[in-house]
Amino acid sequence: MLGSIQRIESPMRRFSEGEEVDYVIVGVGAGGGVLLQRLARAGFRVIGFDAGPFWDTERDWVSDEKGAHNLYWNDMRITAGEHPLAFGANNSGKGVGGGTVHWASFTPRLHPSDFSIHSTDGVGVDWPIPYSDLKPYYELMELELPVSGPSYYPWGDPHGYPYGPHPMGGVGDALIRGCTNLGIGVSAGGPVAILSGSRANRPHCIYRGFCIQGCKVGAKASTLITHVPDAIENGAEIRPNCMVSRIHVGATRRVTGVSYFDSDGRACFQKAKAVIVAGYSIETPRLLLNSACPGFENGLANSSDCVGRYLMAQAGNVVLGRFEELVRMYKAPPAHALTEEFYETDAKRGFARGFAIQTVGPLPMSFAKQMMVAKGAWGWGLRSVMMDYNHWAAFGFLGEILPNADNRVQLAEEKDRLGIPIAKITFNLYDNDKKLIEFGKNKTMEVMWAAGAQEVVQEARYAHLVGAARMGDNPETSVVDQFGRTHDIANLFLCDGSIMPTQGSANPGLTIMALAARAADYLIREGAAVFKSEERNTQKPPIRRDLSPPDTWGHGMPRI
Amino acid sequence: MANDRLRGKPDVVLTPEVLSARLDRAAANTDLDIREGRFQRWLALIAGLSSALSGIEVAYEHYKGSYSRRVMYTPVILSGALVAGGMSGFFSRRAARTILPAVSVLTLGDCAVGFYFHVRGIHRKPGGWRLPIVNMVMGPPVFAPLLFGVSAYLGLLASFLRRGEAAGSGILPLPAHPDHWARIVTGEHEPISWAQDVREGRFQKQMAIATAVSAFFSGFEAWYSHYKNNFRYKAQWTPVIIAPMLMAAGIAAVKSPRIARTWLPAISAVAIVDGAVGFGYHARGVLRRPGGLKKPFYNVIYGPPLFAPLLFAACGFLGVLASLLRREKRR
Repeated sequence: MLGSIQRIESPMRRFSEGEEVDYVIVGVGAGGGVLLQRLARAGFRVIGFDAGPFWDTERDWVSDEKGAHNLYWNDMRITAGEHPLAFGANNSGKGVGGGTVHWASFTPRLHPSDFSIHSTDGVGVDWPIPYSDLKPYYELMELELPVSGPSYYPWGDPHGYPYGPHPMGGVGDALIRGCTNLGIGVSAGGPVAILSGSRANRPHCIYRGFCIQGCKVGAKASTLITHVPDAIENGAEIRPNCMVSRIHVGATRRVTGVSYFDSDGRACFQKAKAVIVAGYSIETPRLLLNSACPGFENGLANSSDCVGRYLMAQAGNVVLGRFEELVRMYKAPPAHALTEEFYETDAKRGFARGFAIQTVGPLPMSFAKQMMVAKGAWGWGLRSVMMDYNHWAAFGFLGEILPNADNRVQLAEEKDRLGIPIAKITFNLYDNDKKLIEFGKNKTMEVMWAAGAQEVVQEARYAHLVGAARMGDNPETSVVDQFGRTHDIANLFLCDGSIMPTQGSANPGLTIMALAARAADYLIREGAAVFKSEERNTQKPPIRRDLSPPDTWGHGMPRI
Repeated sequence: MANDRLRGKPDVVLTPEVLSARLDRAAANTDLDIREGRFQRWLALIAGLSSALSGIEVAYEHYKGSYSRRVMYTPVILSGALVAGGMSGFFSRRAARTILPAVSVLTLGDCAVGFYFHVRGIHRKPGGWRLPIVNMVMGPPVFAPLLFGVSAYLGLLASFLRRGEAAGSGILPLPAHPDHWARIVTGEHEPISWAQDVREGRFQKQMAIATAVSAFFSGFEAWYSHYKNNFRYKAQWTPVIIAPMLMAAGIAAVKSPRIARTWLPAISAVAIVDGAVGFGYHARGVLRRPGGLKKPFYNVIYGPPLFAPLLFAACGFLGVLASLLRREKRR
């Protein structure tokens, strides 16, 4: 059961032990889910591994903030550096659907400028592809999820969304009031991958506010409900609760399969003609580094020494404001309005790149945590603040942090319960990042004041991760090419947020999916050549619109 | 048509007396035109305009539902067609007899389809029709598609009416009875039918029923939309109170010619005024939303439905029209 009325009717295919499959995908999240569905639909024999469970949303999910804790990747990780990242809650998922199960589902696109920030601003690095290469995939993914939002979205490459905008909750109202009072443009009701009208077997949003606790309604898109059912229908196998520990390389410097621990903890091996790793920014480099073997002493695909490097997190300060009137931020999806007015570089601000301001709607537990940090509230003070919960609104600032080689993922000495070395993450902020955060934080607070708040506080934190196995044309400075194929091994691919060279100040989910769909088109065009040949065709594949899940077409409005 | 008769000779001096006499004559002529069913052009125009209002309304209401089914486009397209049909019916007799009824019938069919989908939409909500109040309030507006049919109904009626300038034309009337001697001359006869009643402006009862029915739809819509807002403003009660009165007057007018000429127009006028006031309140509601006029499109969509009060006023218009008509002939 997925959502309130969606069911997977067909039985799942099971490949027998020892059978060689075409593709093994490690991690069925945003990237892996889309890829799995595409490859299955194109007729490949494909298995998706996920370290977490296959959710039965009616049974496994509870509409409770604490009860949703098992949606996150809670295994031990070591975090280091001057500005260490917090792991667990909001930046990783475990289970089929991955992070899309608990994302707030803001789905803005990157701006065209994001693809060439080195050429224009002299910072970071350029992407190997321009925006125009990804644009058709953005459009396709916006239909497949589908994305609700205004019919004209003015920032970046202006575009419209296939589903209508959502009504505002109290936080959205505050953001709109604040922005319009300051003369800042603001987008109301999206872009967010939550249904504003029903579609096929998924009902529309009922604004109950438990989006990041896993939407039991089925209105919020996650690959678990948008792509995985179609993948299973088309003969893909998903092996949940299976932790892949190692990728094996054969004598010809090609990968031959993966070792994994199944749900009972048994060590198993799965033969595959090609392997795609989609484990996100921490687990992907961890797996590559842990798969070091003779010939690849530094880890797989790591001849450039870039695996694990250039990890990025987005600055995600939360600004909270207290209002005289009731806000009730638990109502409505946390994601429903934003402004990208400050997205692009502005020379007057004294730093490169920019940020977005978005609505967030923390439920009481996160709110308590934020109040603890922001106001030092504790004891009776915390209790009285919590009693005031309904009067507070929260905006999230989402700032671009530039890639740096020293922000990296390494293997630690410590091992997890399966004996796999755990990841150690080092993270520091640099000059541009600090200036950007300072400016953006103040601007966000200004908007909160302009909305009519009587008191404004903020908590510094980080949001989405990307990078750590970046793509590029030069094998010396990047791990994979523009289609996610590793420079070193012709039948090893990466397909998740880790391949993004820079992050913009857009939430990365939609971009990861668009990259996955593009990679899928590439793999499908290459066909069996991927399994045999060392040759690399770098021509753009034609876009395949016939591989979308069946309910993609015939709904929503024409684009403007 | 009234205007034609108003047009005097150019050398007449327009003294106040002349003007007032002309106005009196124009009013009397208009009344006569309506009584005798010679207002095709105007009714066609009104059908077109009211279709424009309900078209805009359905366009953004369905936009709110993201046009998640293709069928949700049909009322938007058809209302556009009905606007075109009404306009062309205003200018051309031919269009009023061909395009206008065709589009109107098509629209009425679409209303039935829409009603089915809206009923089904409520049925498909958790609890379905076992929780009728909740699901009618939260689901698709159940009577909105039928209310949408009011302008199509007007369009259809208009197609049966006479045009103003047709009065006193030289064409001989056709005999009503097949055995009448005049049939030898004309070759065909024309039995007295409901269509003739309509053509001659004798459809007061029908119009009174239409008033009652549309007042029910519109009042019901007002009731649960205002209920959704907890009747926060006292004025939100007015359509809920006026609608049953209008219904009662409409139904009573079927029995009593007297009520059709007294209570019905009186209550209808109240409904029209109430609709106008409601339009003002709804516009104010849109302006009061966060962002106000700076987010016009979004606030119109998610604010109070701007044109809904005008559709309520349209019910009042039907009532006034009914009061001006003649009653059906007894057969």
